[in-house]
Amino acid sequence: MSTSAAQTEIAIHRPGAERMGFFTDTTVCIGCKACEVACKQWNDLPADGSRSGKGISYDYTGDLSASSWRHVRFVELLEPSPQLRAEAEEALRAGAAGNLPAIPAAGAGVSAAVGSPDLVQMAEDGGAVDVADAVRKMGDWVFMSDVCKHCTNAGCLDACPTGALIRTEFETVVLQPDVCNGCGYCVPACPFGVVDRDPEDGRAGKCTLCYDRLQEGLEPACAKSCPTDSIQFGPYEELVDIASRRVATLHQRGIEDAYLYGAGDQPDEQLAGGLGAFFLLTEPPESYGLPAHADSPVQENVVPATLAALGAGLLASAGAVVAFVTAARRARRTPAGRAW
Amino acid sequence: MSAEGRWEGALEHGGEPAELAPEHEPPDSAAGRESAWVADHDTASRDSRPALGTRGGPGPWDAAEPEAPVALARDDFGDARWSFLYKARDTRYAVAEPAPGRLAAANRRMRGAPVPDIHGPIIHAPVWTWEIPLYFWLGGMASGSAFVALGCDAAGDHRSAAIARRVALGAVAPAPLLLIGDLGRPERFLNMMRIFKPRSPMNMGAWCLLAFSGSNALAVGADLAGRPKAARALGGLTSLLGGYLGSYTGVLLACTAVPVWSRSRLILGPAFVATATATGAAATRLVLVASGLPAGHPTGRALGTLETAAMLSELSLSRLGERRLGDAAEALQGGEAAVFFRAAKSLVALGLSLRLLARRTGRREHDIASLMYLVAGLAFRFAWIKAGRASATQHEAVAAMGRGRHTLTAEQERPRGARRSSKQRTPLRLHSGLGAWSEATRRASLAVERLLRS
Repeated sequence: MSTSAAQTEIAIHRPGAERMGFFTDTTVCIGCKACEVACKQWNDLPADGSRSGKGISYDYTGDLSASSWRHVRFVELLEPSPQLRAEAEEALRAGAAGNLPAIPAAGAGVSAAVGSPDLVQMAEDGGAVDVADAVRKMGDWVFMSDVCKHCTNAGCLDACPTGALIRTEFETVVLQPDVCNGCGYCVPACPFGVVDRDPEDGRAGKCTLCYDRLQEGLEPACAKSCPTDSIQFGPYEELVDIASRRVATLHQRGIEDAYLYGAGDQPDEQLAGGLGAFFLLTEPPESYGLPAHADSPVQENVVPATLAALGAGLLASAGAVVAFVTAARRARRTPAGRAW
Repeated sequence: MSAEGRWEGALEHGGEPAELAPEHEPPDSAAGRESAWVADHDTASRDSRPALGTRGGPGPWDAAEPEAPVALARDDFGDARWSFLYKARDTRYAVAEPAPGRLAAANRRMRGAPVPDIHGPIIHAPVWTWEIPLYFWLGGMASGSAFVALGCDAAGDHRSAAIARRVALGAVAPAPLLLIGDLGRPERFLNMMRIFKPRSPMNMGAWCLLAFSGSNALAVGADLAGRPKAARALGGLTSLLGGYLGSYTGVLLACTAVPVWSRSRLILGPAFVATATATGAAATRLVLVASGLPAGHPTGRALGTLETAAMLSELSLSRLGERRLGDAAEALQGGEAAVFFRAAKSLVALGLSLRLLARRTGRREHDIASLMYLVAGLAFRFAWIKAGRASATQHEAVAAMGRGRHTLTAEQERPRGARRSSKQRTPLRLHSGLGAWSEATRRASLAVERLLRS
């Protein structure tokens, strides 16, 4: 075991097992969503409708959730049409919250490229579309197949009060559905917004890195289905090696902005101690809805917060004692003090 | 039909498609399509059960036959190696050898690049509903009453102490029901007791709640049985446990990725304990008055002082905390949370002025002030929960926290990773006895679930 996470959680041990992970290379992702479909099929996850993105975005999944364990995030920089904007505002006023097209505030989410075409408007106008021109003006349209990061310092794992979340022999983080009681603490404890509680099922759900397949020597369903091998699966060290050579290759080709999110960092700059599922990105992390830095919130905060809390608790009981004792003493000097 | 014959012959032409009935015509406008789509995908009316298995759970992990080979599986992830397009060095995918330090430098540069348009959501909002703030309020009230009981005992007023212990018992009694009600799978509440996990504030809180309720119930029992010494000793233990019961809720919120909670990590515990003390004292005061505490009795006075001091420290702690929040403060200053906060603050201000005005005179004014503090405490609890929900959806605040900054607009940038994690994680190993306990608990809660669902 080369990059061994400290065996601190309730872990399954198996001799010979090593850390396995995902390397997701966004530069070869074509946004086909085969990984999402394969994940849903293998893990028997229901469709969950669209909760965001509609209207402006072609991304109908919107977000990772308890029933979407892979999510191809579309980082689109297209401007919505004024009509769509007006309709969305109308819908907002009518109170259709929750099912609104996500229209960015003026300026936000819009490419700096001037005059990006409005494909929706063009289609609605029925006008002729110069496809080549439209594509040229589209500017950046980036895909990133998002997934649970299987952190070395996993916030969800630290927070879980039932021990439903465990570290496996492959150093992945897996939720045991027969133990989870749906307390919901892992949801805000994840700094990457991965794990969520299913409103119908009541339990939390997230990527298991296909633990059941791994145990049988099969690669996870999403990696298996990825037609461009944007999602690569393998022993962690091998993946980091191929990923760093990939970044070097891209740098050589002039794509200076290529970098790894979650691997290859200096020890004090690691994301959550190093991510078991890491990414090759070409934009700053926030473009993909990723934090620039994150660690397990429990490990960051539990010691200082508990010390402050316990100190305050002791202070409060001491304060109560002082308040009552002084009041009783003062009362003894006056006729008001008496037992009842 | 043979494989060769399958593609012979022209495709049959089925004729022109039938005319669409008007109700099946697609809507004209984008808005119409939008609402039709939404109606079609409404999770309330749509049957979204999976075709197989259980929603939200992965497929079963046990092979049907434990030792049976899986078709196409190769040992040691031969399966993965087979599909690894770029593994063989016959493409130009990853040919360059990385220069030492170059990758880490690229990572550092891009993770520290100017903040782009944020395509959120970055984190998920907490799913907790009204049960949780109400539990915070009641649990706080119970621990505050335990402090009062300790103080009364220390001052020699054992009769009030016994009443305070009963108030604490009454306040803590509905707490487990609220907590269980908020679970996604309430039937499995037993699993909270499956392990003892000092790193998880929720697990510690569950154990603390159990211990507090137990020792408090025993103390009340000792009171009833006429064993004052035992009652006092148990009361002391209860108030010690109350020190954690009233404050761990703040720790629990602080140990999340939600900016407004996480950034208030040193404030939340103390502020919650202050609210707990104030509400506990107020509740006990009202009960004591109702059970005939004479006016001007020192216990009543001390309770008034304690309430006011605790509420004032709550206010000043909140104020102190707000200054450290940066972008995250927006969650407290806007939306529903702000309404609750304003309500709480005005109630405290009103109660306080009532106390000052009616210093020597009416007792009713003091009672009303206590009532106001009680309601203010509840409003504080709701305000903090609502603020967390709002904060998780404020992408700028979340991004700023990831950048190690208070605000995205500030010029000065602190080094990334400035807040280090503790790294000193103590191993949590399940010894055989504990493992048996965990397994037994898991089975028990599954049995409860089956019983309740059948």
